[in-house]
Amino acid sequence: MNDYLPLVGMIALVIVFVLASFVASILLGPRNPNSAKQAAYECGIVPESEPAERFPVKFFLVAMSFIVLDVEIVFLYPFAMVMRGLGVFGLVAITIFVLVLLIPFAYLLSVGALAWGPVAQVIREIVPVRRTSVAVLDPALTEGTTGQAA
Amino acid sequence: MLALFTQPIDAARMIAVPKIDWLAIGPPVVLFTAALAIVLLASLLRGRSLQHDLDDWVVLCAFAGPIEFWLGRFSAIRYNHDVFSIIVMLAGIGSVAFAMGVSIVRKHTFAASLVIALAGVISAVAITVAQWNVVRTSGSFTSMAGAVAVDGMAVFVMGVVLVATVFGLLLGTSWIRREQLEGPEFLALLLLCATGMLVMASANDLIVVFVALEVFSIALYVMTAFDRHRIESQEAGLKYFLLGAFSSAIFLYGVALTYGATGSTNLVTIRESLTGLVGGDNGLLMVGFALMLVGLGFKVAAAPFHMWTPDVYQGAPTPVTAFMAGATKVAAFGALLRIFVGSFDLLQTDWRPAVYGLAIVSMIVGSVAAIVQTDVKRMLAYSSIAHAGYVLIGVQVATESNGGLGGTSAALFYLGIYMLMAVGAFAVIQVVGRARETDSSLDDYKGLARKEPVLAGLLTLFLLAQAGVPLTAGFVAKLTVFKAAVDAGQFQIALIGMLSATVAAFVYLRIVLSMYSGDEHGSATPVEGNRLTVDLPVRITISLTAALVLLFGVVPGWLLDVAEHATSILAG
Repeated sequence: MNDYLPLVGMIALVIVFVLASFVASILLGPRNPNSAKQAAYECGIVPESEPAERFPVKFFLVAMSFIVLDVEIVFLYPFAMVMRGLGVFGLVAITIFVLVLLIPFAYLLSVGALAWGPVAQVIREIVPVRRTSVAVLDPALTEGTTGQAA
Repeated sequence: MLALFTQPIDAARMIAVPKIDWLAIGPPVVLFTAALAIVLLASLLRGRSLQHDLDDWVVLCAFAGPIEFWLGRFSAIRYNHDVFSIIVMLAGIGSVAFAMGVSIVRKHTFAASLVIALAGVISAVAITVAQWNVVRTSGSFTSMAGAVAVDGMAVFVMGVVLVATVFGLLLGTSWIRREQLEGPEFLALLLLCATGMLVMASANDLIVVFVALEVFSIALYVMTAFDRHRIESQEAGLKYFLLGAFSSAIFLYGVALTYGATGSTNLVTIRESLTGLVGGDNGLLMVGFALMLVGLGFKVAAAPFHMWTPDVYQGAPTPVTAFMAGATKVAAFGALLRIFVGSFDLLQTDWRPAVYGLAIVSMIVGSVAAIVQTDVKRMLAYSSIAHAGYVLIGVQVATESNGGLGGTSAALFYLGIYMLMAVGAFAVIQVVGRARETDSSLDDYKGLARKEPVLAGLLTLFLLAQAGVPLTAGFVAKLTVFKAAVDAGQFQIALIGMLSATVAAFVYLRIVLSMYSGDEHGSATPVEGNRLTVDLPVRITISLTAALVLLFGVVPGWLLDVAEHATSILAG
C-alpha cells in the first residue's frame, strides 16, 4: 500500500491546487463584466448562429481508419526498440501484423472510403456509377447530382 | 536490409521468442487468412482506381516480355542469347496468363471468393480432424502459454461451427445473388465470425474468451445489418449492436471481478486457486461469475436475457439468422461449459441453481411466447430460446459424475443436432421468403404444400425434429438431455422440459398446419403462380441437413459416441 502513497498525495495536491486557483481568482480578480467577457469564447469571431449538427458520415470513416493505423504505430514503436533482439521471428511477426492492417487499408482505398472532395469528383467522371457501399454513403454518386461532396 | 535482423548481437540482448504451436491455433488462423485473402481480392479486383492501375500493370507486363525479347534479338548488345531469351519468353507467357487469369477472376470475383472461403473452411476442418486424432491418442493439451486448450470439447465445438460455416457460406451465396448485394464482403465477414468462434471454442483464458466474443460479435452485428434494402435489417443490426455491447461489457466486468478474487485470468490457474476459496464467503467471486453468466446467457439467448432474439432473428438476413442460431449458440455454450463446468466446478453449489433457473425460464418463455407469434422467423427465434433452455439442462447436470451419458456430452450432442435442424429450417424459410424476404408471416405459408410439396415436406421434417418427434435427430437430442437430468435425480426439470416441449410442439404444428391446410388462392397470398426458385447452394444445404437429421434420428450412435469422447475439458 505504501507504493501508492505518492499517488494519493498527487491526487490531493491536484484537488487543492484546483480549488485554490478558483478561490484565488474569485478573491483577487477585478470584476467589471461586459458582454464580450461573458461569452463562452473570449477571443475570436462571435458566432452568428448555432453550428450545424449533422456531420457527413465520412468523418467517421476517416476517424475509424485512423484508429486502425494509429494502433499499428503503437505496436511498431516497441518493436523498433527490440527489433534486433527478436531477430527474424520479430520481423516475420511484425510483417504479418502490418499486412493484416494493410489489406483492409487497400480495401478502404478501393471502395473509395477516403476519396472525397476533388478526388471523388474525378473518380465520378472516369468511373461509371455502380451500386457499391460508396454509392450508399454518398448519394451524389447514385443520383448524379454534382458539387455535393466538395 | 535482412542483415539488420539476422546479424548476431550479444546473447544478453537476445529475447527468447515463443514457440508457435500451429496445430493448436491452426483452424482460426486458416480461416482468418482466407478472410484476408478475400478482402485483398475484393479490393484489388473490384476497386475503383486500383482496378485501372492494375489493368495498366497487367498490360505492361504482358507486353514487356515479347518487346524485351525482340529488342534482345536485334540490338547490338550480345548477351547469352539462349538462356536469356527463354527466361524472357517465359516471363511474357506468364504475364499473358496472369492477365487472362485476372480478367477471368475479375468477372467472377464472387465465385473466386467463394472458392477461397470453402478452401479455408475445408483446410480448417482437416486441421480439426488432426487435432481430434491427437486428443484421442495422446490426450488434451494446452499451448500458447496456457491460453489455448485443445481438448475434446474444443474440437467438437470447432467441428460444429465449421459445418455451420459451410452452410452459412452456401446460404449466403444464394441470398447475395438474389438480393444483388456485394458478395466478397459478406463471405469475409462470415469467415471472420467463424474465426472468433473457433478461438472461443479453445480459449483457456478469460481474456481470450472476451477477445473471441468481440471478434465474432462485431462481425455478426455487421452481417445482421447487411441487407441495405430492408430497413428491418438495419434496425436489427443496431439493436443487436447496442444490447450486445452491453452484454460484452457485463461479461468483461465479471472477468475483472473474477480476476480480483482469484488473481488470474487463466482458467486452469483459477481452478487451482478455487480449492482454497471453497466454502468461504467470497462475494467478489460470486458477483464475478454471476456477471459472466449474464454475458454468456445473452449470447446463447437464454431467458431472461433473450429480449433481443426475436427482433434480431426476424430482422437479420435469413442466412445470417441460420448461422447465428447454429454457430453462435454452440460457440457461446462452449465457453459457458469451459468456464463453469471446467473451471468453476468446485463452486457448483453456487452456480448450479442459477443455471437451473435459467433453463426453466428459457424453456417456458421460449415455448409459450412462440404461440402468439404470427411470423415464422419470429416463432423459430422463440423456439431457439427454448432450445437454449434444453441445452442448459445438460449444462447444469454436467458436474454430476454418474454412469451413462454425462451432461456435457448431452449438451454438446444437442447443440450439434440443433445446428442441423435450425440451419435446415431457416434455409427453407429463406427460399419461401423470396426477394427482399417479404414473405415470412404465417399466412405466406398457406398452401405451400400444394405449391411446393417437397419444400413443405422438408420444412415439416425440420419442424418435427425441433419438436422432438421420434425417428428424427431432435428426439434423440431431447432424450439424451432429459436422461442426463433423470440420471442425476432431477425429475422436476426433466418434467418441465417435457411439458414445454409439448407446448412448443403446438407452435411447430401450427406452421405445418398452415402449410398443409390453407388455400393457395387465399386472400393473404400475394404471390400466386410463380414458383419458388431453389438454387444449387440452397438445394445442397437443405438436402444435407435433412439427410443428417434423419440419419442421426435413426442411427445416432456415431455422433453420440463422438460427443461422449468430447467431454474432456481443460488439460490440467
